[in-house]
Amino acid sequence: MKLHVCGTAYEGRVVDLRCQPVDGATVAAAIRGTWPLPAVDAPAAGPVYDYCGHVHPSMGLRTKTALAAAARSRGHETAHDDTIAELRERLADLDRAEPTLPSARESVDDATVAELRESAATARGRLEARETLGAETAEIRAEVRETTRTLAKRETERTAARQSRQQRRDRAREYRDRQARRRRLADRLANRRRDARRDLVDAVAENFVAALEAVPGPPAADRPDDPGDVPPVPAALAVLRLARTDAPVVVATDRFATPTAAADWLSAPVVRC
Amino acid sequence: MLLVVTYTRAARRDLRNVCRAHEETVVRQFGRAALLSATEFGAFQALRLREKHGLDVQLERVRPFEPEDVPDRVREAARAYEARETPSIPYRQFASGRDLPGADQLRGEEL
Repeated sequence: MKLHVCGTAYEGRVVDLRCQPVDGATVAAAIRGTWPLPAVDAPAAGPVYDYCGHVHPSMGLRTKTALAAAARSRGHETAHDDTIAELRERLADLDRAEPTLPSARESVDDATVAELRESAATARGRLEARETLGAETAEIRAEVRETTRTLAKRETERTAARQSRQQRRDRAREYRDRQARRRRLADRLANRRRDARRDLVDAVAENFVAALEAVPGPPAADRPDDPGDVPPVPAALAVLRLARTDAPVVVATDRFATPTAAADWLSAPVVRC
Repeated sequence: MLLVVTYTRAARRDLRNVCRAHEETVVRQFGRAALLSATEFGAFQALRLREKHGLDVQLERVRPFEPEDVPDRVREAARAYEARETPSIPYRQFASGRDLPGADQLRGEEL
């Protein structure tokens, strides 16, 4: 690896930054590529680094998840992998865009339309009566035209409002059906991933216990029955020893006599912070 | 009443929070859905969820439903079918030959 910190260039399998004013979290983020400084030139960090790329006393660790990632880095596969890949693909193919709905138009209420219908009918009746009498009809004719036009307009508006409402409902329903499908797929995917993780953890369980026993430094006062309950620092070191680690591991623990000893034990490049 | 149905985990969580904070407005809560009372406050809470989660929140207005709201023939059909002697007989078969509306006929009728 190559590393530039505060104007100093470091190169090699083991780098000691204890005399530099830079904290381990920053270096670990730079190695993972989520932070620009310090400038690091090293192999890309794998999934294991998300869990234990930075080993320090106040860390937490999801041991089983990390262990599964370590098993994967060693090329372990499970019977669930094909299903997981397929479910992932199907989930990615499901369009998650929310549709735009046509705007909800103000509906014309039935009473207004009924009223207009009635006045149109009344006007027509008056027109007929006047025609029968032979009286002046121009004015009443205009009134008939006017009321009929208003009625037609309101009726059109009402139909449009009804249609836009129906369209809104249809589109929303289609989207929600898709969301429901997505949720079912996501649940199935989560279940298969849990199954896969369990298989992976089982596959490396013995090696993990052996690695735990070999972790240097003070042994835990009383070793928990479940290796998953071991404190984070020894657990992370054991996970890293199991994993294939090409990118440098940031180690901020006094368990090793020298940074080189840490690199040898982990068989990984090491940055001591 | 107002029916609020959620379609994502985040929307479901917020619905649960609304229900917890405003018990007096909640008529009934189910897993990812709830019935809110038909007040402006109930509508306000429903709209807040809708604003935040968009179409992942479905809002419906729900009216009480009583057997009396349904035409007699439908009620009689339901009663007769539930009193059937052969449990496995499908309604379609059960209705034919009796003075009962057919399934397709029922499907075509809006309440």
